[in-house]
Amino acid sequence: MSKPILSIKNLKKTYPNGVRALKGVSFDVRRGEFLVIIGLSGSGKSTLLRCLNRLHTPSSGEIIFHPQASTRDSAVLESATDIATVEGEKILDIRRRIGMIFQHFNLIERHSVIDNVLHGALGRTPTWRSILGLYSHAERAKAMGFLELVGIGDKAYYRAAQLSGGQQQRVAIARALMQSPELLLADEPVASLDPATCHVVMDYLRKVNRELGLTIICNLHFLSLVRQYADRVIALKGGELVYDGDPQQIDDAWFSRIYGETAKEVHVN
Amino acid sequence: MSQIIRRTIFDACIFAYIIVFLLIAVQRPDSDHLIEQMSGYLLIISALGIIGALLSLFLRAKSVTTLGDIIYMPAYLRPSIPGPLPLYRTFWGVELLMTLVATFVLGWFITDINPLRLLEADAISSALRLFGEVASPDWSILPKATIKIIESIFIAFMATALSTPIAFVLSFLSARNIMGKTWLGTVICACLRIGFNLSRSIEPILWAIIFSVWVSFGPFAGMLALMVHSIASLAKQYSEIVEGVSDGPIEGIEATGAGAIQVVWFAVVPQVVLPYISYTIYRWDTNLRMATILGFVGGGGIGTLLMEYQGQSRWPQVGTIIVVMAFVVWLMDAFSSHVRSAVK
Ligand SMILES: Nc1ncnc2c1ncn2[C@@H]1O[C@H](COP(=O)(O)OP(=O)(O)O)[C@@H](O)[C@H]1O
Ligand SMILES: [Mg+2]
Repeated sequence: MSKPILSIKNLKKTYPNGVRALKGVSFDVRRGEFLVIIGLSGSGKSTLLRCLNRLHTPSSGEIIFHPQASTRDSAVLESATDIATVEGEKILDIRRRIGMIFQHFNLIERHSVIDNVLHGALGRTPTWRSILGLYSHAERAKAMGFLELVGIGDKAYYRAAQLSGGQQQRVAIARALMQSPELLLADEPVASLDPATCHVVMDYLRKVNRELGLTIICNLHFLSLVRQYADRVIALKGGELVYDGDPQQIDDAWFSRIYGETAKEVHVN
Repeated sequence: MSQIIRRTIFDACIFAYIIVFLLIAVQRPDSDHLIEQMSGYLLIISALGIIGALLSLFLRAKSVTTLGDIIYMPAYLRPSIPGPLPLYRTFWGVELLMTLVATFVLGWFITDINPLRLLEADAISSALRLFGEVASPDWSILPKATIKIIESIFIAFMATALSTPIAFVLSFLSARNIMGKTWLGTVICACLRIGFNLSRSIEPILWAIIFSVWVSFGPFAGMLALMVHSIASLAKQYSEIVEGVSDGPIEGIEATGAGAIQVVWFAVVPQVVLPYISYTIYRWDTNLRMATILGFVGGGGIGTLLMEYQGQSRWPQVGTIIVVMAFVVWLMDAFSSHVRSAVK
């Protein structure tokens, strides 16, 4: 068996205001899997994802990252790296290797769709070139390719704001793919979409997981989606890991343990 | 704790103010007398301040709500205003009313208000003569006035154009959400803000006096004066816009591994361009108004001409200049509000 892409050990995060959002979480992420994180709102899911790509700095613990050396041209990271403690320029390098999509898409609404996808290349483009918009033909072709992959090649020159929510999330996926990441983080990617669109977006995530072999870590709200898309699921409760295993085995007992006694499962179809 | 100190100091000042006001109202000293007796008055004021502070603490012990309490208490504790009692039946309400009345009466005397003087017969007749002359403008100086107002327009334009890029860069350096992430950034940010506030508290007309000595009289001095003022004003307004941007796009760009400058350029700038344009046009508009009078202190433009004619009491020529100024300012105002509503 190959090494896990991430080994997280005893990860803790206390915010400056004293909130202990993560209280020592440990788990491995296997290369190529579709891992889903569930838990009540406030259980620390977003905090966990943001520690993994260092949008937030963990308070303590380890996040050992085993990059696939052969696929990367950058020499900054070769062997296993502890994401939790890297500093300076190396943080940017970590972020480049890890794509992320968000509940509210976080696109630049005034920019065109294709420019939004090209933002995925910012990390490897010199600042002055990116400000002048001087992306190479190869980069542009690549961006166009990813737009085709998520099925909105025809919208390339629309403003991002003109697209529907589901389409914007697909642009965000294309932007993340543009980074050529090894890992894709998705923070409740379908929480602000309607049920039908929700499946379209989840299907594209599954597609990049299966076809491009991208490892995905995705926060989700609905258990029905979890059973449909996840290879493996972990559950957080109050900043602690309370479940790690097969999504099909989350029965009613587990459900009420994760979500509280009075919770009822809702289905999205 | 600091809230108690603040409210006590506030109430003490109000108390001293009202008592000193009553003293002055009774004694009616003239300003020479005031200046001679200054140290005596200061002593009285300090003593009153201390008495006021003690009084205020005493009221606090009796749990009477003073004006200081109302002002410095956190908003969620503040009673609804207007509350159940009418204003004049609450302690703080009476305190407020007394302060306002005292200030108004004091103001009336200090500004030497005398409505009767407006109605004196010879004053009215000379005013009417002046109005008559101003109201029949001498159009022969129109070409001269036009050239000078064009000078004013360009003084305002160049001051705006040269201050915009500088203010643009400074606005990011003085925005707390951009700079507040590191210790060094916070210091830079605070220093810049202090600098802006200092330079904004000096009116352009004072800057014009300084620069007319430095680079001698003329449009360049006026332009520099407006520029210094505009940099500080624009940078402050711009940085408030920057502080209001949404975090989502910033996070989105940060997550791609972009560098700090790229994050500002791609995530912040697109959110602020339209308001920036709007504020810039408005600044040009304001600068034009100021440019028209900077000539009085050697800042060039149409104000120079106005001062010349006014000094010689050539009222018809002054009338022409007033018409030209009013027309151009009105035109600029219309242009600026049109553009600003277009970029909303
Ligand atoms: N920037 C922050 N500063 C302080 N507390 C935060 C911050 N972000 C999240 N929290 C707190 O941390 C806890 C976990 O939040 P979050 O990770 O957003 O949970 P989830 O994504 O599962 O809803 C919550 O109690 C939340 O209030
Ligand atoms: Mg969340």
